Amino acid sequence: METLVNGFKTNRAFAVTSLLVLLLLAIALAAPVLAPFDPTHAEMKDAFLEPGMSHLFGTDKLGRDCFSRVLYGARASLSGVLFLVCSVFVVGTTMGVLSGYFGGKVDVVIMRISDMMISFPGMILAIAVAGIMGGSLVNAVIALTIVSWTKYARLARSLVLKVKRRDFVEAAIVNGGTPTHILWTHILPNILPMMVITAAADIGALMMELAGLSFLGFGSQPPAPEWGLMLNEGRQQLQTAPWLMFFPGLAIFITVMVFNLWGDNLRDVLDPRNDAE
Amino acid sequence: MKKLFKVSAAAAMIGLLAFAAAGCGGGDKKATITNNMVKFGVTNFADNLDPSDNFFSWVVMRYGLGECLVKFDNKMNSTPWLADKWSISDDKLTWTFHINDKVKFSNGDKLTAEIAKESLERTFKLSNRAQSIFEYDEIKADGQNLIIKTKKPTPSLPGMLADPLFIIIDTKVTNRDIKKEGPICTGPYAVKTYSKAKAVMVRNENYWDGAVPFKNAEIPTIDDPNTRAMALQKGEIDFAINIASGDLQLFKDKNKYNISEIASLRTVLAQINMNEGRPLHDPKVRSALIQCLDRETYNKVLLKDTFIPGKAPVPPSLDYGFDQLKDPNAYNPENAKKLLAEAGWKDSDGDGYVDKGGKNLEIDFVFYSGRAELPLYAEATQADAKKIGIKVNMKNVDYNVLDPMRQRGEFDLCISNILTANTGDPEVYLNWYWKTNVNGSQPQNSTGYSNAKYDALSDKLAVEFDPAKRREYMIEMQQILLDDGAALFFGYPKTNMVSKKGLQNANIYPADYYWLTKDIAPKN
Repeated sequence: METLVNGFKTNRAFAVTSLLVLLLLAIALAAPVLAPFDPTHAEMKDAFLEPGMSHLFGTDKLGRDCFSRVLYGARASLSGVLFLVCSVFVVGTTMGVLSGYFGGKVDVVIMRISDMMISFPGMILAIAVAGIMGGSLVNAVIALTIVSWTKYARLARSLVLKVKRRDFVEAAIVNGGTPTHILWTHILPNILPMMVITAAADIGALMMELAGLSFLGFGSQPPAPEWGLMLNEGRQQLQTAPWLMFFPGLAIFITVMVFNLWGDNLRDVLDPRNDAE
Repeated sequence: MKKLFKVSAAAAMIGLLAFAAAGCGGGDKKATITNNMVKFGVTNFADNLDPSDNFFSWVVMRYGLGECLVKFDNKMNSTPWLADKWSISDDKLTWTFHINDKVKFSNGDKLTAEIAKESLERTFKLSNRAQSIFEYDEIKADGQNLIIKTKKPTPSLPGMLADPLFIIIDTKVTNRDIKKEGPICTGPYAVKTYSKAKAVMVRNENYWDGAVPFKNAEIPTIDDPNTRAMALQKGEIDFAINIASGDLQLFKDKNKYNISEIASLRTVLAQINMNEGRPLHDPKVRSALIQCLDRETYNKVLLKDTFIPGKAPVPPSLDYGFDQLKDPNAYNPENAKKLLAEAGWKDSDGDGYVDKGGKNLEIDFVFYSGRAELPLYAEATQADAKKIGIKVNMKNVDYNVLDPMRQRGEFDLCISNILTANTGDPEVYLNWYWKTNVNGSQPQNSTGYSNAKYDALSDKLAVEFDPAKRREYMIEMQQILLDDGAALFFGYPKTNMVSKKGLQNANIYPADYYWLTKDIAPKN
């Protein structure tokens, strides 16, 4: 934690991107206050209005205000992707740590399962899972977790293997430490920075996958405002009402870019300390 | 020096790539249409070209390959085609169709009544849909006279024979793979190659009914409506079927395109499940739901005036009293709220939805997205129903799943886009969805709707030959459906054919069957 705070003070790029991330989260939280209209209220006589004074981003096919929908969409998209990253992180890291620390049969089983998952094209499997369970944001998150945990498991496993051979771990084992204690006190803190960096850098990519699933109809369902779903709804009017796709697309672009930059800077802040050891 | 070399090498590479990219793409948009080739962009569901398989006969006819004994004109009257006249016996059971002497198949064989008989019998043998259209005791052939004896008096037999299911094929040809190569038929075009993704047709040099304008026709399948519109814009195709409402304004320039647009014979309706225990069992709730939907705005604004607002079961493109029918459930959201209150529904917990006995008024709306307007109507219904406190849950399913769900009654609302006059008049349509379902007699009617007066009218209609009386019965039946709130009629699609200026007679017909006709020709 101190490294983060130090990094914030010394690395200007990290400070700037962190503030941008906080700004995005603040906008998402403050959507009910900022949005001029109810995002699901359909004033159908006002359908397909161009962006203008009364509707900043125009209206969509049912006359709903696009600006309000983009703001509320931030809540769905951001909460979805953060929840997704957390669940992938927890599942992947746990599997990797168990596999790396205990070795033997546990390792073989977990790694073969992860091999199976890797050999599947990820998006297709996510579509299949979401198709079977029905379309909703929660199911899309579950589907993407199922296909994405393997990267973290492999990374965690290789880190654990590296740390396991260190002197202090062997000393702890000799001193009679239980596996739980060793994992929690010695192993995890040493692999966590790398894992967190990977997760942060992945937020952007996972946001795209979540939006992609919603675009295909397997994520959020109408009338929920969510950026990927709004892209799909605007697709049919691409030539006649391009603002329907432009603004959600821009929102996704900005969010992904901000998170990617933040992840890069996070690596700069956390990594140099690791390399020094 | 090295750095300069690297930079200039990179620049040269980029320049070369740009040149290469500019070389491809960009067709000749100004190409005029000649007799040699026409390209037609369509939607296509046919896996093969066997007319007795599924509904694939529609594609056989749409592509200019197959023809029937009877044809529908612009007013859906039965007119001569392969049969040039017909008559009925006094006991109303025996029909005599005279086959036009001039008709030849594309391989030169003459069409006789014997071949027509074998073709019809083949259809009845291979397709189980044939006998749901009509039933016969026997078919006889006498020279050019085809004699059909029906089981019961069948007033609409000529119209029924116009259904593409009864396309006449040359049954003398036995060594042909009908599924892959298509049958030998009498139409203006013959098949060179066929796949679901693209058909290549050639002129039938033996066509019996005049000169065929084009030597070749390519028919690529472009199911996505926006892609189809873009293909027409770029000139990759010369004309296209059913351009979507959002894209029609791209073709408004009369110097470049023709739009042939008519009201189709289709109705987009949602069946209402009114069985016991369902929320819509209560007629007041049904009325409230229908009255809260602003169908005028859905069709004029959301669908950009490409659909006609819904009111009655039979669309206004057919003359069955559309204007004189009275809709007791016209748009009236205030009255809708009143009706809900009268039925005992109140929002007691302030969540925006009315409830009774602790449960919200929730209904499941089943739809599919194969047709662009269906999800739109579903979402608009959800938005408008929310305003009077009804919660609508949208269930998007695959079309293959929707039909069995409909037959099992697993829905509160189930929407589809239905052809109302596939045999020339709406009798079959009015029976399929609203006549009482006795032991599976009307499997499409699982809504629990049953009205004895309606059934009695339907029985009288089945054997009535006088067209004026038939019309009266069907108007009465429609009024019963409107008074009972039997279904939600959203709108009637307009169907269109958009073509480049260089084509003439690329016109759309009310029946879905006639697309590539012998009249479509280059404009000189």
